Amino acid sequence: MKESKSYEQYLNTTHRLGRAATVITLAMLLAAPFVMGAYLGGMPNFGAFLKGFLAIGLVYLISCIVEYFIYVPMLGAGGSYLAFITGNLINMKIPCAINARDMVDAKSGTPENEIISTLSIATSSLVTILVLVLGVVLMIPLQPVLQSPALAPAFENVVPALFGAMAMKYYRGERKIAAITLAAMALLFILVPSLSGAVSFMIIPSGAIAIGLALLRHLRGQKEGKR
Amino acid sequence: MLAKLNSPVMYLICGVIVLFVAAVCIVFAVRAYRAGKAIGMDVSKMKRTIVASATFAVIPSVGILLGVIALSGSLGTPWPWLRLSVIGALHYETQVAEAAAEASGAGGLSAANMTPETFTTIALLMSVCIMWGMVLMTVDGKSYIRRLTTPKKPKDGSKKKGPDLSGFGDTAMTAMFIGLVSAYIGSYIGQIVSGEGLFTFRGSALPMAVACVGAAAMGVFLWIRRKYNAEWVDSFSLAGSMLIAMCAAIFLGRI
Repeated sequence: MKESKSYEQYLNTTHRLGRAATVITLAMLLAAPFVMGAYLGGMPNFGAFLKGFLAIGLVYLISCIVEYFIYVPMLGAGGSYLAFITGNLINMKIPCAINARDMVDAKSGTPENEIISTLSIATSSLVTILVLVLGVVLMIPLQPVLQSPALAPAFENVVPALFGAMAMKYYRGERKIAAITLAAMALLFILVPSLSGAVSFMIIPSGAIAIGLALLRHLRGQKEGKR
Repeated sequence: MLAKLNSPVMYLICGVIVLFVAAVCIVFAVRAYRAGKAIGMDVSKMKRTIVASATFAVIPSVGILLGVIALSGSLGTPWPWLRLSVIGALHYETQVAEAAAEASGAGGLSAANMTPETFTTIALLMSVCIMWGMVLMTVDGKSYIRRLTTPKKPKDGSKKKGPDLSGFGDTAMTAMFIGLVSAYIGSYIGQIVSGEGLFTFRGSALPMAVACVGAAAMGVFLWIRRKYNAEWVDSFSLAGSMLIAMCAAIFLGRI
């Protein structure tokens, strides 16, 4: 009884602390571009910001909502607050928390899972922060090399490099959806070359095609399952 | 511009935020450890969790560092360092930064086109685009977790109407990323075929070639993962593929 009350208190305080930490982090993240702007001598352009947000922000808004509903049940309260503050969910926090949970055989929704997830995500976040600090300190002497003209093509092609790798990862599991979506988009860019200046806007129709195809398949699968 | 983006003032602004987040992590870890002890959890289990998580995190963290290096050429070091320490994710950051650079009229993510206005617009857009998980946790986190732990009983006679979308969330997320990737890969194909006029096939093939190298590198990583059951490869595959493709761009650019 006493243990249950103490755990209940712990959860309530976790929510209070988590909300406070999230709001403060958000405020600092949103203020940073303006503080930097005051130092650099150029504030954000709201027209360009809105254009960019409409083009890509909506995609990530949906993605964040999906992530929220999927990952919170896995991580519990403390783990979720920390994971959303520190990011890198798919490539680190989720596998790290699941690995820890499996290791100690904690069951979903139990106090043990709550504690293990929080410990796991807090520890992994601290390690990342430490590794990045060390990396950044060691990177300073490397700046002249990184800024050399010989390396310019590499940095100018970060996005194609990323999407090539992502294409391989996501396309292989959903070949039909990927083939139809890519063919539609390639055809559009071939026939209307001016669209290449607004690729980020084209994510919306492209995403709609892919999600539409996936939904059709999902519904068809359910229909067949019922028969 | 890049010198200013790498100045001590920029490090100070970003460092304060990183330090705050590190403090939050320490507070949460200490509280969880004490709460675990209070409810009678095995202390050795908690210690094992800490050691295993710290060990596990080193490899992906180096992968994340490669992301900082990749973005530092155009955005300087402090901002990517902050973004990838707090809230951000390797695959989100580059893409949002690129879209923001495009919307700002910079044409693309490149140090040569970076102005203070472009940089701050990119920084603001990167913050806003990926903040929704945090917003949802603040607004709805407590009640969502309560709903999960105390499920409602179905009302008598209530029947579900419309299509059953249970289990569609994961697929929708994958489909959304396929759409996102296809828009960019499609544009590289369009650039080759009609970049210098409809069906002239004289446009730059470099972005598509770099994307192909990235895909091939990822294919090799995935093969190693499957063949040797090497789970550690997952932590490096995205950053490693990007780095290989970026190195290839240096050589392909000369052809």
